[in-house]
Amino acid sequence: MGNKWKSIIWPVLVVIVALLLPTTVYAHGAHIEYTASTTIEIVATYDTGESMSGAQVVVYAPDDPATPWLTGTCDEEGRFTFSPDTSKPGAWAVQVRLAGHGDIVHIPVGQDAVASGGTGGYTILQIVLMSVCVIWGLAGTALYILRRRA
Amino acid sequence: MHIPDGVLPAGVCAAGYAVTVPITWYSIRRINKQGDPRENIPKASLLTAAFFVVSWIHIPVPPASVHLVLNGLLGAVLGYYAFPAILIGLFFQAVMFQHGGLTTLGVNAIIMGVPALLSYYIFRLRNFRREGGRIKTGIFGFLAGFVAIAVSVSIFVPVLIFFIPSGFDVAAERAAVLTLAVAHVPLMFIEGAFTTVVAVFLHRVRPKLLVAA
Repeated sequence: MGNKWKSIIWPVLVVIVALLLPTTVYAHGAHIEYTASTTIEIVATYDTGESMSGAQVVVYAPDDPATPWLTGTCDEEGRFTFSPDTSKPGAWAVQVRLAGHGDIVHIPVGQDAVASGGTGGYTILQIVLMSVCVIWGLAGTALYILRRRA
Repeated sequence: MHIPDGVLPAGVCAAGYAVTVPITWYSIRRINKQGDPRENIPKASLLTAAFFVVSWIHIPVPPASVHLVLNGLLGAVLGYYAFPAILIGLFFQAVMFQHGGLTTLGVNAIIMGVPALLSYYIFRLRNFRREGGRIKTGIFGFLAGFVAIAVSVSIFVPVLIFFIPSGFDVAAERAAVLTLAVAHVPLMFIEGAFTTVVAVFLHRVRPKLLVAA
């Protein structure tokens, strides 16, 4: 009888272990976890096109524009990346400053979010045209008065 | 050396305007006392144009880059016209290129305009006791250009380092401002030399143009 039970228990144990093995194998599968967030990258440059490397960055959330939400530093290429709290939709203010030079940009987050944007940024042609207009205005003033005197 | 919008607190911007307005008023009053103001307006207009454009000429001084200002030259050649001329030039730079700012226009006018007036007083010394010749014109021209940048930096640095808003690393920003200030030392010599060349040239070809208001 004892031998008979042994002959039953061992095959059952082998089957149970065999059934458990695939579970262990499945434990080597891949897992992907994700957190929904929006990452914003800014690039700060001088108007000469030179990167503002090492510039300080302060980020202000829309619900408290007086208290910094995040502070950091631009990398060598003037880049800075951050993930705003998506539960705070609105215009996030990002201020960049280096030696008294800098700018502030308002980045909409939430429903009004846009893929990209920036501040300033005239083309060379626009700058030349505007400069010519101002110079002509000033030179014209000089010529007008010189002509009246003559 | 142009401080943009959003860098200084509102109180400092207001104080900048509060100081700029009486200086402009005083300059205009002095201009009015010196006969026909139209006499010098062509000269002032052309130098305002030069001031407006010259900020685009950048000189690399590693690790920063600086640009010409010409406030010393304007002071030496224009006298009391220099302050309103610089104010107008700064206004156009801020509106057209966001170089500087409208809220900081008053502060920037002090940073660049007050040293221009100082340069005018320095340049006038070339005629102290007896009318200065070419050498005295050159020496005082150099001093006018040199001192204007030196004084501008002396105003620019404390304005920036004493009013750093919360959230910024004060030590890092102060170090960056001081680095920029040191980068302006070569500019002092460049502007001094440039003012000398222009002053000596005008002294030779059209000395009447140097009789500042």
